[in-house]
Amino acid sequence: MGRRDDSLEALDAATPAFRRYARALAAGAPAVFADALVLEALEDVVRRIRARELRPASGEDARIAVYAALTASANRKLRGHGETAPSARHPAIVHGLASLAFDDRAALLLVALEGFGYDAAAQMLGATRETALVRLMRARAALLGCDQRPSGARRAGTHPHLRVVK
Amino acid sequence: MPPSALIEEADLHALVDGELDPERRRTVEDHLLQHPEDAALVEAWRRQNAALRAAFEPVAQEAPPHSLRGAASRREAAASQTGPIETGAIHWGRPRGSTRPPRRLDELRKGRRRQAIVTVALALLAGAAAAGLGAIALGALSPSERRVDAPGAGQGYVARAGVTYFTYVSDARAVEVDAGRADDLASWLRDRTGFGRPPDLSGQGLRLLGGRVAPGVAAPAGFLLYEAANGARVGLYFERATVGGEAPRPPRAAPGLIAIEWRSAGTAFVLIGPIGADQMQAAAEQAATQALAAEAAGDGRP
Repeated sequence: MGRRDDSLEALDAATPAFRRYARALAAGAPAVFADALVLEALEDVVRRIRARELRPASGEDARIAVYAALTASANRKLRGHGETAPSARHPAIVHGLASLAFDDRAALLLVALEGFGYDAAAQMLGATRETALVRLMRARAALLGCDQRPSGARRAGTHPHLRVVK
Repeated sequence: MPPSALIEEADLHALVDGELDPERRRTVEDHLLQHPEDAALVEAWRRQNAALRAAFEPVAQEAPPHSLRGAASRREAAASQTGPIETGAIHWGRPRGSTRPPRRLDELRKGRRRQAIVTVALALLAGAAAAGLGAIALGALSPSERRVDAPGAGQGYVARAGVTYFTYVSDARAVEVDAGRADDLASWLRDRTGFGRPPDLSGQGLRLLGGRVAPGVAAPAGFLLYEAANGARVGLYFERATVGGEAPRPPRAAPGLIAIEWRSAGTAFVLIGPIGADQMQAAAEQAATQALAAEAAGDGRP
């Protein structure tokens, strides 16, 4: 019982981080949409914890479960909404994020924004470590097109053009 | 690309992400000293990271909206998901519990304290809508879009409100009965939909143009149109909601149009319009408060 309550409290403490991740994942969709994703993921994981379907060994475990639920749910919902189209007031990085394939965007954000290691990110993406790394690499390469270019020559053959997400 | 070059690029990423053991990290850093183009790449990725943090760290620094505060550890989450919402709760996706238990609302509906009704309605509205749960942005539903909703399905109201809005908003006859014939409008709406008290939203700068009865999801719906000083038009759609609380499929999210949905005494309401979120929320609060008060006073019902 104590560990369960600890997990739930850890989720409350991590809610600002979940909001940050969801907002970035939604890449220009309204804030309310991203917050609704967070609430849904929290409800789902909390329900499973209370029902003992999920027994997180630590607050960190519970957090990972929410990130995974958030990622899966955002994947479904953003797909149904067609291209996310950030308005002109968003910074360039948001437009860049919106142009990435969802899987690549999620991998990049889990590592670069949320600070997870490759193994944890792979777990949350439901993929192997190698797959997660490939997605991360693709995301970074694609973003180079809209962000500042590195001085000097680019590494040949590793920078695809920006992709428009269907 | 030869395998060794691929491993090297992965090493560069791993350096940025702190995934290298100390010995390997030194090797890669030495490599960067001798290969400035790779060093530039690493630098570019670090700038991307900084741009991401700059863009999104403020979200993590904000206080979360009401319905996300303590969302994991609070107790009444389970209770709020059962049964239809009857009074004053705004939800999108699924019903959200307010900070007050439902039975208190039933007492209020008996008309004991009018002021409490207003307060509770505002609390529910503020709690859910401020959380952004009630306020969603619809995509540009074109007038030619057809949505076929199962009769009685709870998930149709917002979509139906959107189609209705687009059908009438720019029509030459945007309203059937104009606001000048207030009694005719009220009795028509009351007879067909059960709710006949068009809310006064002049406090939010919205002037009632008039309204009509329109096809709803499963029953006749009311549709009122209001106009702001700049010509923007906001619609209020309402329909008797006999089935409750199913989680609707989320409509498209895109900038442009905001819809706020709530239920009050068995009627589903959707306020929909292109004005700012704050103004929409204020208008929705006004409308919901008046609707709740009307119901409590016994008006608007045959």
